[in-house]
Amino acid sequence: MQTIDITLTVNDHQQIIPVKPNDTLLEVVRDYLDLTGSKEGCGEGVCGSCTVILDGHPVRACLTLALEANGSAVTTVEGLADGDTLTLLQQSFIDHGAVQCGFCTPGMLMSAKALLDEDSSPDRQKIRQALSGNICRCTGYAKIVDAVEHAARPEPGCPDCHTKETGGDHD
Amino acid sequence: MTDYTLIGKRMPRMDSRAKVMGKALYTADLKLPGMLVGKILRSPHAHAKIVGIDTSKALALPGVKAVVTGADTEGVKWGVFAYTRDQQFIQTEKVRYIGDEVAGVAAVDEETALAALDFIHVEYEVLPAVFDPMTAMTTDAEPIHAEFPNNINIHVNIDTGSVDENFKKAYYIREDTFTAPEESYFHGEPYAVAARFDYDDCLEIWMPNGGPHMKSKPLSNAFKIPLHKVKVKKITIGGAFGGRSEICPADYICALLAKKTGRPVKIVFTREENTIGTRQGHAMITTHKTGVDKEGRVLARETTCYMDGGAYSSTGPIATSVPFLSMEQAYRMESVRYNGYRIYTNKPIRGMIRVHGRGFACGLDTQLDMIAQHLGIDPVEMRLRNSRQPGEFTSTGSQVWSCAMDETIKKAAAAANWQDKFGKLPPFHGIGIGTNSVQTGFPMGIRGGSQSFVKFNEDGEATVMSGVVDNGQGNENMLVQIAAEELGLLPEDIHLVSADTETTSSDPGSYSQVSTFVGGQAVKNAAANCRQKLFDVAAKILKADPGKLTAKNRMIYVTDDPKKAVSIKKTVRVALLNFTSVNAEGGYWPRVDMKREWVSNPYGQMCEAFSFGTTIIEVKVDPDTGQVTVLNAVACQDVGKALNPLVLEGQFEGSVAMGGQGGMLTEYHDWQEGRCLNPTMLEYKVPLACDMPEITGIIVESVDPRGPYGAKEAGMSIAMSAAQAYAGAVSNAIGVYMDSFPLTPDKIVAAIREKRQAGK
Repeated sequence: MQTIDITLTVNDHQQIIPVKPNDTLLEVVRDYLDLTGSKEGCGEGVCGSCTVILDGHPVRACLTLALEANGSAVTTVEGLADGDTLTLLQQSFIDHGAVQCGFCTPGMLMSAKALLDEDSSPDRQKIRQALSGNICRCTGYAKIVDAVEHAARPEPGCPDCHTKETGGDHD
Repeated sequence: MTDYTLIGKRMPRMDSRAKVMGKALYTADLKLPGMLVGKILRSPHAHAKIVGIDTSKALALPGVKAVVTGADTEGVKWGVFAYTRDQQFIQTEKVRYIGDEVAGVAAVDEETALAALDFIHVEYEVLPAVFDPMTAMTTDAEPIHAEFPNNINIHVNIDTGSVDENFKKAYYIREDTFTAPEESYFHGEPYAVAARFDYDDCLEIWMPNGGPHMKSKPLSNAFKIPLHKVKVKKITIGGAFGGRSEICPADYICALLAKKTGRPVKIVFTREENTIGTRQGHAMITTHKTGVDKEGRVLARETTCYMDGGAYSSTGPIATSVPFLSMEQAYRMESVRYNGYRIYTNKPIRGMIRVHGRGFACGLDTQLDMIAQHLGIDPVEMRLRNSRQPGEFTSTGSQVWSCAMDETIKKAAAAANWQDKFGKLPPFHGIGIGTNSVQTGFPMGIRGGSQSFVKFNEDGEATVMSGVVDNGQGNENMLVQIAAEELGLLPEDIHLVSADTETTSSDPGSYSQVSTFVGGQAVKNAAANCRQKLFDVAAKILKADPGKLTAKNRMIYVTDDPKKAVSIKKTVRVALLNFTSVNAEGGYWPRVDMKREWVSNPYGQMCEAFSFGTTIIEVKVDPDTGQVTVLNAVACQDVGKALNPLVLEGQFEGSVAMGGQGGMLTEYHDWQEGRCLNPTMLEYKVPLACDMPEITGIIVESVDPRGPYGAKEAGMSIAMSAAQAYAGAVSNAIGVYMDSFPLTPDKIVAAIREKRQAGK
C-alpha cells in the first residue's frame, strides 16, 4: 500500500513519518516510533488504554487515523517525565498505589493530565467523570481518583501524599 | 520479632515507576528480529466433524511463512489432571465450540496473516450441539467427548453423613434454586504470546501467565522436549484474575509456528478472542436446601449444582469444588451433602475466576436472609450464629487455625451503621451483607512448594530468585519487601529475578492465592538462611555471638549493643575474601493432606490457612428503571497480617468493583446457539470510575500461626462477599429475594412489577 508522509510532533520532537492511509495513530506511535507505552486494549475506542493527547485534547489513538493527526502535536506517556524526573501526577500514581497491573496506567495518566491541564483542582466527582473513558480492571478506581485528586493538591492527613522514600522509614 | 522495618508499612510498589513511564513491556510490545505475525483459524461451528483441511492456497499466498494444523502436532491432549486431558491444542477430528482452534498461520504482516486464514479451506460435517447443561445430560445426540456418554464431565460428591437425620430435627427447612450465567475476566491486556526457538533448540516464550512453571510443563509435554528446553520468560502481565494459570492453545500454536519457520512469531489476541479463546467463568444452576433450628443455626444442608463446563475440562474438578469449599469454610455446616456436576456443552472453555460461583454463594447468603426473615433474626446475627470459629474443622476436614470471621462481621456492621439502617431505610433503599472465605492454596502435588535463592553481590546488594509471578497484584513488591526485611537491606538494594523457568525453581504460581503464603515464605526462609551466613562472618568481625546479631538498614549490629556494628557490604567482602559462601536457598512446602483429591477423596487438610471477609453494601434502586446506585460500601477482611496496607486496600477496592459492582449488577454473557453475543468491551459492561462508590476498607489481622509474618490470602474474600452483599442489598431494597444473578435492571423492574401485581 502506498504511503503518505505526515508531519507529527511527538513528545516535543518533530518528525516526518510515512504512513499508510489506514494506519491509526496508535499503530504509528507503537509500531513506527516504538513508543509502546500506549496500549491497545480493545481496538474500538472503549477501554481508553491508547489515550494520547493530541493538540491538548485526550483522544483514542486506536480510533484516530494517522492522517488526521498530520501537522499536530502528540503527547504519549513517554513524554510526561523530564528524563528521570517524574511529573507530580506520575509520582502521585506511584505514591497512592494507583498502579496495579499497569496496562491501563498510560491511558489513565493521559486522561488525568488533560483534566488537570484544564482544571488544576477538580473535585472527586469531576475526576471520576473525566476518567470514565478509561477502564481499569484491577483497582476499582479508588486509588486512581486519590492519586489525581492529590497530585496537584496534597491532602492533609493522607498517608500517601508526599511519600518520597519508597523504603518506608529507616531511622 | 514484631518490630519490622518494612513489613506492615505502606510501601509504594517498586514496579510502578516503569509502568507510569510507559517503559514496562507487555507481550504485545515485544519486537524480536525477524518476527512474524501469527493468527489462529477458529471453528465457526459449535460442534462439527473435521472432514478435511486444505492449506495449499494459504501457503501459496506471498508472505505466508507457515500454516499449521492438527496434522503437525504430536496429538498430545491437555488437562490439569491425568483424568481431564481432553483438549488438543489444534483439533484433528472435531471441533466442540465456536472458537475452537483449527489452524495457525505465520506471515510477514497482519494483513497477510488474516488473508491467509480466509484461504484455508476446512470441510466440516456439522453435528447437533448442546448449549445448556440440563439438555446436555439428556440429549440423544452424539456426546461432545466419546468417553462421556451423558456429557457429565465431573461429579464431585461430598457427604459428611447424618444429613437426612438432621433435616428431620430441623425447625424450618427451605429449598431454593439460584442461577447465574457466565462472566469473563476482561483483563486490561488482551492475551498475547511471542515464541522462538534459540540456537540450542530451546523454546523461549513470553505470555501473560499465572505461573511460569504451570506453562512450561504442558509445553514440554506437547513438544516432547525436556523441561529445561522450555524457557518461559518474564514479562509484565496485564491482569489474570484466575484466567491465565493454564496453558492456552495459542501458546502451543505460536511455538509450533516458530519451530516450523525458524523465526520468532507473535500472536496478539483481539478483545473478542481474549473473551472466547482464553477462559470464562462457569454458568451455574444451584439448589440449596437448608434446615435450621429455632435460633437459625444450620443443622443440615444439601446443595446440588450443575455447572456449564463448556467444551473441555482442564481444571474441571477444582472448578466444581471451589464454590462449595468457600461456603463450607465461611459457615459451619457439619452435616452437609454436596453434589456438583460439571457438564460438557458446546460453549467456550471455562476455568477458575476471581468470583468463582457467584450464583452459588449469593444463593446461599440470600437463603440465609430468607430464613432469618422467617425466624425474625437480623441478618448480621444470623451470620454470627453460623460463622466459622478458630480451631474448628471444615466439613471436609480442614482445620482452621486462624479465623477472625466474627470480627469482620462486627466491624463491617459497625462501620456501615447496620443497626440504624437494616429495616429502617426508606422505600427502595436497601442494605445487604455477604460473608465468604477463600482458601490460601490447594494441594498441588509436585508443584505445591516454592524454592528461592538469594545471593549477595560484592557491593553488599542482593539478588533474589523466585518463581513467583506478578499478574498486577503486587507480588514482586511483596518479595522485595520480605527479602529486604530479612536481609536488613533497603528495597532498592534488592534485585529480583522472578517468573522465569530457566533461572527460578518450581513454584505454584499465583494460582490458588498462594503467592505470599508459599512463594513469599520461601523467599523469607532463603533470605533468613543467607542472613545467618553473614551473621557467622560478622560475628567474627564483631567478636560477638552470631545468634545475638541484628541486620537493619544495611548494617549488622550486636542486638544489645548497637554501637558494635559492621556494614553488610564489608561483611560480604570479608566473607568472599575468606572463601565463604554468601548465597543461600530456602523453600516452603505447605503442610496439606497430599491424599486429598478433588473427586476421589475430597477430605483432609486442604491448605494451611483460610481468609475470611465481610462486605456490606447499601443501595438505592430506581423502581421505574431498575438502576442501582450504591450509596455505601464497607469491605472488611481477616488477612492474617497486612504486609503492605497500601497494596491491600487496592485489592479490596478492586474486589468490590469486579465481584460486586460488575459481578452482581452488569457482567454476564449472552448467547445465541453457542455464539457469544457480547465478547467485546462495548457490549460487556465492566464498572467505570463514575459507577463506583467510595469504599471503606477495614483490615483485620488474626496473625496466622503458619503464614509469613502471619499473612494469608488477601482480597479474594472481599471479591466473593461483595457479590453476596450487593445481592442482599438489592433484594432488601425491592423487598424481593432475587434468585437470578446478576441483578440487571430488567430483572429488578420485573421483580418489582411482579410484587405489585401480587399485592393487588
